[in-house]
Order: sequence, then structure tokens, then C-alpha cells
Amino acid sequence: MNSLIKPLNEQYSEYLRDESRTVGMADSISFPVNEAEIIRILAELYQSETPLTLQGARTGLAAAAVPFQGHVMNLSRMNKVIGCRRDETGRIYFTVQPGVVLSEFKKMIDKKQFATQGWDAASLQAYDAFTKASRQFFAPDPTEDSATIGGMTACNASGARTFLYGPIRNHISAIRMVLIDGRIVALRRGEVFAQGRQLSLPLQNKDTLELNLPTYRMPQTKSASGYYIEDNMDAIDLMIGSDGTLGVITAIELVLMEHPKVIWGVSCFFDHEDVAVQFTMQLRSQVQHLAAMEAFDADALELLRQQKRQSSAFARLPDVPESYHYCIYTELHCEDAAEALLQLQQIGAVLQQCGGSKEHTWVARTEADLTKLQFFRHAVPESANMLIDRRKQNYPMITKLGTDMSVPDEKLTEVVALYRKGLRENQLQSAVWGHIGNNHLHVNILPRNEEDYQKGKALYQDWAAQVCRMGGAVAAEHGVGKLKTKMLLTMYGPQHIAEMAALKKVFDPKNLLGNGNLFVTEGGK
Amino acid sequence: MKIVVCIKQVPSSNEVRLDPVTKTILRDGNQSVINPFDTYALEQAIELKEQLGGEVSVISMGIPATERLLRDAMSRGADRAVLLSDRAFAGADTLATSYALSLGIRQLGDFDLILCGRMAIDGDTAQIGPELAEHLAIPHLTNVEKIIDITQQEMTVRRNIDGQRQLLQVKLPALLTIAKDINQPRMPSISGVEFGEVAPFQSLNAAALQADVSRCGLNGSPTQVVRTSVPLRDNACAFFEGSLAEQVQALAAQIKEELK
Repeated sequence: MNSLIKPLNEQYSEYLRDESRTVGMADSISFPVNEAEIIRILAELYQSETPLTLQGARTGLAAAAVPFQGHVMNLSRMNKVIGCRRDETGRIYFTVQPGVVLSEFKKMIDKKQFATQGWDAASLQAYDAFTKASRQFFAPDPTEDSATIGGMTACNASGARTFLYGPIRNHISAIRMVLIDGRIVALRRGEVFAQGRQLSLPLQNKDTLELNLPTYRMPQTKSASGYYIEDNMDAIDLMIGSDGTLGVITAIELVLMEHPKVIWGVSCFFDHEDVAVQFTMQLRSQVQHLAAMEAFDADALELLRQQKRQSSAFARLPDVPESYHYCIYTELHCEDAAEALLQLQQIGAVLQQCGGSKEHTWVARTEADLTKLQFFRHAVPESANMLIDRRKQNYPMITKLGTDMSVPDEKLTEVVALYRKGLRENQLQSAVWGHIGNNHLHVNILPRNEEDYQKGKALYQDWAAQVCRMGGAVAAEHGVGKLKTKMLLTMYGPQHIAEMAALKKVFDPKNLLGNGNLFVTEGGK
Repeated sequence: MKIVVCIKQVPSSNEVRLDPVTKTILRDGNQSVINPFDTYALEQAIELKEQLGGEVSVISMGIPATERLLRDAMSRGADRAVLLSDRAFAGADTLATSYALSLGIRQLGDFDLILCGRMAIDGDTAQIGPELAEHLAIPHLTNVEKIIDITQQEMTVRRNIDGQRQLLQVKLPALLTIAKDINQPRMPSISGVEFGEVAPFQSLNAAALQADVSRCGLNGSPTQVVRTSVPLRDNACAFFEGSLAEQVQALAAQIKEELK
């Protein structure tokens, strides 16, 4: 066995699962630290026709990083920032290996402190400009900031601020990928485009992959559901969100922006969900500079109250009065405080139009207050996970069933009604939170027993069909992975899934990479 | 009940910059925050106002940019604010600062209670509260962690004294310095922010306070700062991954490397 490939024995068992709590199986594992090692490992796996699954920090919620057989290639040790670039407009770019952790990257940007050993002269010159530039900002902000940039790229991750800045796709300017046979694709945004649905993909060795892109139309909403396909698309977009099925990403160039001068967070509380939904729709059209719009329903707020009562770790959560039944958190990113104040007053006006009260709000204008609101937002999913972990002691097979679906703007009211009806009719406990600005609510079904779990799974599948009918996406930010392949089939139908599989086969003729992600191909692979 | 809360502008804790020549802390106003200890005093004052009625005034001595922080205090529930700002106050130690604050508070009129934070996170002296009480000739209690009872005439409080608890009664007017975590400072509402923008705000200089300038600023400060420096933090953290054996090997290699 290649010395980089180790048997996957007991000490590596944690690499068989991810945050979705799915547990898989595999025979071997590797932790390459550079591209040359990846090529060596792939050569052996390709030769022996061993399937492989790619991993980052395993924070994913769709089991894309969980292996079902063969080899696990964990990229978390490829965790270096390898270069810097500054373009003619002064914009700063950093090239990172896939294992760089988001929170670490953000820290480096904030402190302007990168390890620059081994960088070339051009990178060092650009880095010098970066250290002298105004404060910089990397916008993508998934709640789980221990995710790796590679993992985020593989599932086209988003976060609260996607409302203004879009998913990570919008912040990637170049990608380098090793194909299963060791050949390399290096793509820079704006350089290689499809002609309609035909794409000639140039490889570094001068070969070209001739690709027939699938014929489906993507939903006009936030989506991380299957390959990104559009007429005349930029080739780089095919790689982003490909769920570890096309190749091994070895470098990603990320675009920074100037840090917003002023960030204010505003939590508005409501008596009823209907009013909050109405408020959301009006806010979208009447307030500018909104970077995020997040929702927390009555059950989510109650989870927080309980958590605060039960655990001293949550003692510093702000008290949420019992009379508050729904919360919409919005975030303003503005050029100056005067602009932010104007938009805040506009939020207040919309709130009053909808029958809300300006008194029932929390405005965070300082770092300390913004940190409180961030803690509040992150405590909600954590509380739900802790609740389920307690229940799992009695019912080991249950998990939280968290939806990740989005619909077009005009379908928000309809989809909220759909969720409520399903939960009510099935008498399921739940907590709803998420990105209401993008009509992307995470409905979290919290099964009390196995019966609830089965009912919840069926309900989720039914919702997926309804969401597709509304023109929505079954996976908006977590990716499809292995858990939502059936839903992707519902969304695009068998012909389009077959087209996706055919596309993958051009990259991976032996069908070894990321098996079970996005779709299940012939032979169960 | 008329309550006065003293507020200090301090650098946000992770953003301390020193003047390269004078070695004093640069207070440009942009990166400044309300001293975190003072936020508990402010919250306590607002809770007492909600309980007993009355008025909360906030006062600070500082550069004109401190107005932003005083308006923030009003957005959270204070009714009015006074800023003592004059070049004559520059370079003040705690004695000169508490002298100026005492004059400002006298200008505000009658008061029943003065609340301060336990100390400021930049100077760490915890002297302003007691010195201010002495200037005003009123009793003071430090590090109060609970207000047990309060009337218009007196109050009973619990102090934290090095892990022990002490119950004390004090006649009003009095000054208390408030312990951290006695309450949970509130965030402003949209209405609060709107009020803070238009609320009564007064800026007073040394002349308006009829201050004896020999007792103000550097002139009135027996304490002279000779030099201030930011502690060097050159610690780094390395993560070792892989199997237990691999992690131990990597750690051993790192230690050998450091010992070279």
C-alpha cells in the first residue's frame, strides 16, 4: 500500500461520519498535504479502481463527506494560504488550500496576519499592499465557521449574509482541481465559457474535455442543488457546488471586499408569524443595505428560554420576553452611521405599518451587542442539537430533520402555510429558523420517538415535491450530498439526473469519485 | 429618584494603540466604547428608574467624540447627558478627573444616587468612584453586587469583598460602584435609538464649570504617566492532527525544534 494510504482502523473511525450524524464505512484513509501527494494517491486508487470520498472538516449536514466504501481522502491538512494577488482596481485576493478553516481565514484577514513563508515575490508585494489597505472582509458566513473553504466550495455554502453578498460562488475567482486520472484543470473566472450548453474544458496538459451540459433550468432562487448549469456559463461555476464528484480541488482563490464601515443588527419581535412574514416581504422592497434577514419562530425562541434556564453556558443570552412569538433579525451594512440611521428608521416605519412596535426591538450598534445577537442566533441550532442528543439516548436512530429548501419571493407565504399545515396535521414538534430573506427557512422537525422520525421523513419528502412545484430548490445551502438524492430526483426528474451522471462520467470514467453524492448511478454507485 | 451614572470612553479592548511619542493611549473616538463595567451601572440605574420613577443622567469627561457614547447611553434609557470637554482637562489622573466630575454633577442639580462602574478597563484604578464621593462629601460603597432594598432615603446592598459577602445599609445621597454581571445590560430599541439622537445633550468646558484650572488636567494630577506599553503577545498555537501516535510524534518534533 502507498505509504500515504493508511488502513482505516478504529483510530480513524471519526472520519466515517459528519455533522449530519450519518455513519459510513471505508477501508483506507489518507491526509495529503500538497497536490503532489494527491496525485500519487489518486494514481494508486485509479489503478486499483478504488472509490473515494473527499472530506474537509466534516461539518456538512448532507453526508457528502461520509464514505460508503473504499477510500477517504481527508484534505484538512492542506490548510495553508499559498498566495496573494492585487488587481488593477486594488482588490485583494488570497489563494488557499482546501483545508483552510473559515474562522482561521477570517481571523487572518482581521489581524492582517498571514504566514507568508514560501510565497513568491508577486504575492509578497500584493500582501504588502493588503497590510496597508483599509480593513478587508470575506462575506460568506455559514453558522458553522469551523467549515473548510474546500468544503464550502464543494457545497456552494451560504450563510445569513448571502442575502446581500450571495453564496461563496460569488467570492471565488479561480480554482485548481486534480481530476481522478491526475490531469489538472486550472480555471480563472471570466476566461472559459460554454457555448450554449457545450463546454470545451481545457486541461493543463493541453487536452480538452468535451462536455454536454445538462439541459435543465435551475430554479430562480437560492440553490445548492446539483451542478450549476446555465447557457454560456463560466466553466468555474461547474466546479463550485459539485459536491466532491468531479475532481479534487487543490487551490481556491478568494476575493475580498472592503469591510463595511458600519454594521448594525436589528432584532424585531412579533406576536404572530403572519405579521413577521408580512414584515419580511415589505422590508425587502422598502429598506436598502440589508445584508441579512433571519427568522426565529415561537418554538425556536422557547428552546432558547429553556436552554437559558437549564444551562449556565447560555446564561448570557438576552432574556426573550414570553410575549415575543417570532423574531426577524436584520443586518444593515452601510457606508456611515447617518445612512444606517436612515435605514433603521425605515425599518421602524415598516414595522409600524405591519402592526409591530418599535419598542419590541433590539438594536446592536456596538461590537458587544453584535456579539450578543450572534450568540443568540448561534444558540438556536445548538439548543436543538442538544435536545435531539438527549432524545437519542432513548431512541438512537432518530436525528433532527432539518430542511434546507428555498422558494421564489412570491411563494414565501405559501411555503410557510405548507410547513405549518404539515407540522400541525402530523403533530410534530419543530423549531423553525433561517434565512427568511431568501425564502429559505430551516424547518427543524424534532422527533420525540421513532414514529415521529418516520412521519417527519415522509413529510419532508412531501414538502420537497411541493417546493419543486413552487419553483424552489430542495437544497439551498447545505448541498445535496447523500441525504437528498431522492429529493434532487424529484426536483429535476430522471432524464436530467441521467444527464448529470453522464457529465460526471467524462470527468470520472470509472465512476470512483464521491459516489452516492448528488445521484445514485447504475450499480448503486 | 435622581440618578447620575458616570461613563468613561475606553478603547475597545482588542484595539489599543499608543501614541508613539507620548506613549499615551490614542483616543480617536472611532474605536472607542463605553467602559464595559459602566454598562452595568447604567443598566442598574435604568432598572431603578423603572422601579421607582425619576430620571437618569449620564456624565463623562472626554474628547468631543464621547458624545456618541453618551447618546448611546440615552438610547438605552438614560434621559439626559453632560459631557465635560476642554483641553484644560487633558492628561488628568483620577484626582483631577473626579474633581471635574464633581463639578459637573453639581451643575446637574440635586441627586439621590451616583453609580459608577467598578473600574475602567484601561486604567484599572477603581479610584474614580471613591474620590468623586469624597469631593461631593457623600458616602460610597464599592463593588456592589446586589441592591437588596431601596427607598428614597436609604438603601441596603450586598458587596463582594474578596469572596466574602457583606450586607450594608447606606443613607442617600450616596455613590455606589457596581460589580460586573449584577445585571444584563439591555440593548436599545429602535425608539431608543431615535430618542438618543435628539435627546438633551450638554457640553461644558472648564469655564462653564467655574473650575480651578490648577486642579484640572495635567496641572491637577499628582500622578504622571512616565511610560505606557502594550504587552508583547508573541504566543502562537499549533494544531497536530492524525492518529494519537502521529500527534505525539509531531509534538515531540516541535519541542525538539523549539529547544534548538
